[in-house]
Amino acid sequence: MAAAAHLGSHEHEDHHHHGPPEANRSSRVDPATLGMMLFIISEIMVFGAFFTAYFFIRVVGGAEWPAEGDHLPKLIAGFNTAILVSSSFTLHYAQEAIRKDNRRGLQLGMLVTFLLGATFLFIQINEYVHVGFSPQDHAQGTIFYGLTGLHGAHVTIGLVLLLFVVIRSFRGHYSSQSHLGMEVPGIYWHFVDVMWIVVYLTVYII
Amino acid sequence: MTARLRAPGLTRAGLFLVLGTLFCAAIIVAVREAYGYPVFADGGIVPKAQNAILLLSLLIAPLWFLVGLGAFDYWFYWAAGKRTRPEDHSGHGATSWKDYFRVNTDHKVIGIQYVVTSFFFMLIGGLLAMLVRAELAAPGSQFVDANAFNGLFSVHASLMIFLFIIPVFAGLANYVLPLMIGAPDMAFPRLNALSFWMLPIAGVMMTASFFAPGGSFSTGWTAYAPLSTSAPIGQMFFTIGVQFAGASSIATALNFLVTIITMRAPGMSFWRMPLLVWANFSTSLLVVIATPFIAASQFFVLFDYALGFNFFRPERDGDILMYQHVFWFYSHPAVYIMMLPGFGIISEVLAVKARKPIFGYRMMAFSLLAIVLLGFTVWAHHMFVSGMQDWIRIPMMVTTAIIAVPTGIKIFSWLATLWKGVLHMDTPMLWALGFITMFTLGGISGVVLAMVPMDIYVSDTYFIVAHIHYVLYGGSLFTIYAGVYYWFPKMTGRMFDERLGKIHFWMTFVSFNATFGPMHLVGVKGMPRRVADYAEEFAAWNLFISLSSFVLGLSTLVFIYNMVASWRGGRRASANPWRALTLEWQVTSPPPVFNFDRIPTVVGGPYEYGVPGHVHGIMEPAEEARPKQAAGASSAEEGV
Repeated sequence: MAAAAHLGSHEHEDHHHHGPPEANRSSRVDPATLGMMLFIISEIMVFGAFFTAYFFIRVVGGAEWPAEGDHLPKLIAGFNTAILVSSSFTLHYAQEAIRKDNRRGLQLGMLVTFLLGATFLFIQINEYVHVGFSPQDHAQGTIFYGLTGLHGAHVTIGLVLLLFVVIRSFRGHYSSQSHLGMEVPGIYWHFVDVMWIVVYLTVYII
Repeated sequence: MTARLRAPGLTRAGLFLVLGTLFCAAIIVAVREAYGYPVFADGGIVPKAQNAILLLSLLIAPLWFLVGLGAFDYWFYWAAGKRTRPEDHSGHGATSWKDYFRVNTDHKVIGIQYVVTSFFFMLIGGLLAMLVRAELAAPGSQFVDANAFNGLFSVHASLMIFLFIIPVFAGLANYVLPLMIGAPDMAFPRLNALSFWMLPIAGVMMTASFFAPGGSFSTGWTAYAPLSTSAPIGQMFFTIGVQFAGASSIATALNFLVTIITMRAPGMSFWRMPLLVWANFSTSLLVVIATPFIAASQFFVLFDYALGFNFFRPERDGDILMYQHVFWFYSHPAVYIMMLPGFGIISEVLAVKARKPIFGYRMMAFSLLAIVLLGFTVWAHHMFVSGMQDWIRIPMMVTTAIIAVPTGIKIFSWLATLWKGVLHMDTPMLWALGFITMFTLGGISGVVLAMVPMDIYVSDTYFIVAHIHYVLYGGSLFTIYAGVYYWFPKMTGRMFDERLGKIHFWMTFVSFNATFGPMHLVGVKGMPRRVADYAEEFAAWNLFISLSSFVLGLSTLVFIYNMVASWRGGRRASANPWRALTLEWQVTSPPPVFNFDRIPTVVGGPYEYGVPGHVHGIMEPAEEARPKQAAGASSAEEGV
């Protein structure tokens, strides 16, 4: 879906494309960016629904959090948060690099961003293995795995998008004039980052 | 044959569907073997593994189908950084009926694909309704047992809502919206094709649930937990089908919003947009914001059902009522998703057929936005008897009553539009007038239901059934008929049979009221809905309702015959048979492949009927239309 949302609009980048005639541009906003923003609104609402479940079970239902006898690895997750947040900065570095036509910088920045994201996902899966409870045990476990798993799914989608950008950057795409194809997945990656901070605060800290 | 299996299309899609199912089976067998669960017994696969394979296939195999169909081909090339294949225009337009059965990026083809597909599922849903009424024609059991009956009305409602009302509006808008705003296509044509093809997947899945072991899903279209989390596997056909329908509808809404915001013709400011465009703008906002909630609610059900999660298990601190909150937070806005585009259609038809400017154009647009906002504040009025906290009831009652105000603004504006107009009482106009009367009745019973004491009294009775059919059939479906008749000449290039259209209207109008009107009476007397049997005292009314409903079913066949026959051999339609001002009528019927040879310029409002010398759009680019001294040059070009 995410890929669908932004990839569909890239015919403008490809000069060998002869689709419908160019439409009048009635807005300064670029269509692909706007599409991604709207898609992110709908993603926020998906998280909103999962947070509603969290709210009903923890606040309305008054369930103990975390469930009796369980411990949430706040420190490891905090370390993981730092990894994910730093990947936003490396992504920004890559974007700044291509604006100056620095291809090495773009490739380096994208590769590091991708690896940081993959590390986050790896640590998250590792945490599932060692956390000591399962979603089947109690509703708290369901919500914990539900929210972190939903976020993990979004990290995966984001990583797939980043992978496309990495491949394309090594194949010589993008330039200082035309780098929309990496800006738009970048917006999504920043969203995934910010969403994790919300999930981390609500699930682990509060 | 191998060439056909390699080229994108239905053949390759079928092959990939089989491969996808085998892929899912392999995963389940491998996982169960790895964990040491039994897989094979008595020369077959154990039932639990069968169910798991079926469930995973429902989720994954449709994606393989889409890949086989070719919906992702371009993106695969793009993602791998390869040269994307040059577009040779072969993806645009349709020259024969076969072109409607492949991935096509032309918004006009997709629009027709949408409308025809959704009417196909409407016929299936209607057939199920006929079976429901046949069972209810007399007290006692006629020909289905109670569980099969539950399945009949559940699939009926789900198909009508998710496969008919919502997508048919998307289809009509797909066809006319880019034309109305002077755009050559939608903003994301490939995404548009993908969103269409997710629709038949959802429809086939819901319909096929009748063949599932244990029968179809039978929880109503609301699929309340824990009923849905403990039902047979047929329930998952709904749970997963809704995901595809929802993804399709979100993608289309996103596409509409981007198209409307970024692709309007020069001069087409927001306050010069036709109200159909405004209506779809509002609807798309609702879809983008609300639809993720039903996706999430069905994911909860899926996780509880398939993986033993505890979202809805109170013995493990889960919360059953949470399902209803999340579900209705989508499904109440969804009734506006099913109604706002219809409001847009009525505004178009009424202004053209009354030959008058629409009354209160800006208020019409503002009331749409007001409904979008208020629509998010009323969801718990579906839950007055659910056992939720008492204090939520009164605020929800008040907001529900308030939302009748913007709707009332629209009704009165339409009436004022008709006032002293020159009414052309042809088929689209009859449907529009029928809509105003029937929807007002449905709206009034809606305000009645908003009142907590009244709602408690008639909850789960036929009064509710009567209300929803007055707003969804007499409301939404009447606007759909108005829209289909109104744009039929534009979409097909043929005129429909006016006499059959009028027969269709009067037959439907009378039998519709005969069917659903008496339901108010039996409902107030206490006949419960969603039950296969009923008390003897309701027998006479129910026989009457069933007989009327069969006439209602027949009237639909008149419509289908009219559409098919007129499409094949109707009189050729001129470019602008209704003498309308909006841009879609200024091009040929059907429009050229890329809609406009040159981007038009909009110079005035869309509804100034009867205003002497008024112009809405000029069929030439702004720079040529503007200078006065160059008038000779531009008129010379017009002659070309």
